[in-house]
Amino acid sequence: MADYNYVAPQEHATKGGVLAYLLTTAAVLLLMMLFGLVMRAEQAQLISIGANAFYQLMTLHGAGMVGIAGIAGAAIMWHFLGQYVRLSTTVLYANLALFLVGVAMAIGAVFIGNFHGAWTFLFPLPGNSMGLWSNEAAATFLAGMLVLGTGFLLFQLDIARALIATYGGLGRALGWPQLFGHDDGKAPPPTVVASAMVTVVNIVALVVGASILAMMLVNLYYPEFAIDPLLAKGMIYFFGHVFINATIYMAVIAVYEILPRYTHRPWKANKIFLLSWNCSTLMVMFIFPHHLLMDFAFPKWMLVMGHVIGYLNTFPILIVTGYGALILVYRSGIVWDMASRLLAVSMLGWAAGAMPAFIDGTIRVNYIMHNTLWVPGHFHTYLLLGMVAMVFGFMYYVTKPAAQHKDALIDRLAYWAYVVGSFGFALAFLYAGKESVARRYAEHLPAWVPYDRIGTAFATLVVGAALVFVGRFIARLAHARSAHLRAPAPLGVAA
Amino acid sequence: MNARYWLALRRKPGMFPALLALWGLLALPPVRYWLEASMTRHMIVQMPLLVAIGSALAHSLSRQQRCRIVAAAGGPLALLTLASFASTYWMMPRALDLAVASGAADAVKFVTLPLLVGLPLALAWRPLGVLGRGFVWTNLISMLVFIGWLYIAAPLRVCNSYLVDDQARAGWWMVYAAAGIFATWLGALFVGKPPATVDTPCAAGYPAI
Repeated sequence: MADYNYVAPQEHATKGGVLAYLLTTAAVLLLMMLFGLVMRAEQAQLISIGANAFYQLMTLHGAGMVGIAGIAGAAIMWHFLGQYVRLSTTVLYANLALFLVGVAMAIGAVFIGNFHGAWTFLFPLPGNSMGLWSNEAAATFLAGMLVLGTGFLLFQLDIARALIATYGGLGRALGWPQLFGHDDGKAPPPTVVASAMVTVVNIVALVVGASILAMMLVNLYYPEFAIDPLLAKGMIYFFGHVFINATIYMAVIAVYEILPRYTHRPWKANKIFLLSWNCSTLMVMFIFPHHLLMDFAFPKWMLVMGHVIGYLNTFPILIVTGYGALILVYRSGIVWDMASRLLAVSMLGWAAGAMPAFIDGTIRVNYIMHNTLWVPGHFHTYLLLGMVAMVFGFMYYVTKPAAQHKDALIDRLAYWAYVVGSFGFALAFLYAGKESVARRYAEHLPAWVPYDRIGTAFATLVVGAALVFVGRFIARLAHARSAHLRAPAPLGVAA
Repeated sequence: MNARYWLALRRKPGMFPALLALWGLLALPPVRYWLEASMTRHMIVQMPLLVAIGSALAHSLSRQQRCRIVAAAGGPLALLTLASFASTYWMMPRALDLAVASGAADAVKFVTLPLLVGLPLALAWRPLGVLGRGFVWTNLISMLVFIGWLYIAAPLRVCNSYLVDDQARAGWWMVYAAAGIFATWLGALFVGKPPATVDTPCAAGYPAI
């Protein structure tokens, strides 16, 4: 049996590479939030940038958020996984360098080449711009995604290498001996299990993504080499959906590692934990057709699979993690600070954000809701209050000057502004979706504008709070470099 | 490195005559004509077998010989680059046509695929590590899918020697091969025990295959 006594883990200084990732995250995240605010203000008819600029921003906002969620998740995973296995710093930096090159290519394609075919670059749109952008602009954007994907592939292969070097195989890193045999209490820590899962699904996704990107690049210049649009959509959504899903599975490692430090209760990988992560390893790769339910031409079995697995995959990790976090915190005497607050609220955001997807994954609902603002409502709840809250929580944790350090009033205010702003912002999307407001429209009907204005007001609150979070992170950056105790001991427990 | 691995890679002196015999069998005119009569058999059976012969040849060399060749070539990356360029040439439709039309070009193929692709790849393989090998595999898999699609979607014959339906069939086999390789490679990453012994590298610092 596992030993459930808490043993305080050794605190580590944050490596320069992880800080470089977090600084990049802070800069890109703020920029993407500003782009989002501008788009909502445009729909709310508070400003007028025109449809062309709207779609340019929408393309960059989508690609940028997916990419930076990957970078932020990678920083968290690398920081904590590095305590159990030996990872390569060179590969860490190589991934960041390739990410920056890919981002520069995407920005160039959008702002210089005027590409605005959305981050999903769905075939055949990139090659059929009707004169709005050139093939070169589309090729630069697609090649940028390819460069970015190559960096992440290297990163994941290095994680695989390190896991295999320590555990012998990914099966052992996923806790197979304990899951399928006797639980000897020696299962890998949750961080290792989560990293192994992310590695498996991301490697598959990135290889599929590279194939379709290469095919689309050839098709741009030689359209006679035709691509089946359904196959292209399936491959793109497989790649994109798995990748963005994986970002939250990387970021949740912050919850597994940091909350036990605040509660002095260990987070062990028991059989149920291992079962949920192993099930999700498979299900994450088969869930993507729930985005294709409107494409009636897809094989029926794929749509049924998307529906069923869409239901099933909502629960295992979410329940195990959310319930685990509640058990950990309940009557633990936890001292709440910015890091623990943000990590705790991220559980709520993750759970709340998954529900609209669960509802939209029902075929009958999907026919009506999928092309409305309901879907942005889902992923903004999931990302803003779930994934990004985990990232901000991690930033507060690694830069905390001392365990007993008290948060300033402005930070506490920013926390509430972020929570209220994010919920309000996401609910404005969800309610507009319920009212059948179409998504991806630059220009909105007068009846839709009130929802947009409410959404814009809440978005302003979110951006303001994020500015405080990022400002605090940069101001306290030096504290991340020392290996001091950061989590205050729970009330009633000796430090 | 666990003992099982060394067992698999132990020098096998009897291997060389067997490899030579297989090479000779593939070069026999009836076998050669039959394999080259179809694009699928040519690309999916004969050429990979020639690469495999070169790769097996590396394992018939002694450890010292392998280390010497890796060091003389300038390291595993140089060998990998050589294998990449040589294999790229044989992926070109024109090269396939030449091999079918000209005996001399076919002879070049029979020599270069084992010696310039299989052998260097096998020598570079172990020193590349899990990361390097993973990159080669994932690149190969995505490119196999990509080239397979090119062959399926091409509106014209890319090789003069083969018909469009044969070309499309070869394309599909490449896609199936990619799926098979992916499943096998990824599956292999799941199995294994924690390393118990330390590997002994070459004098130059490269791990021997």
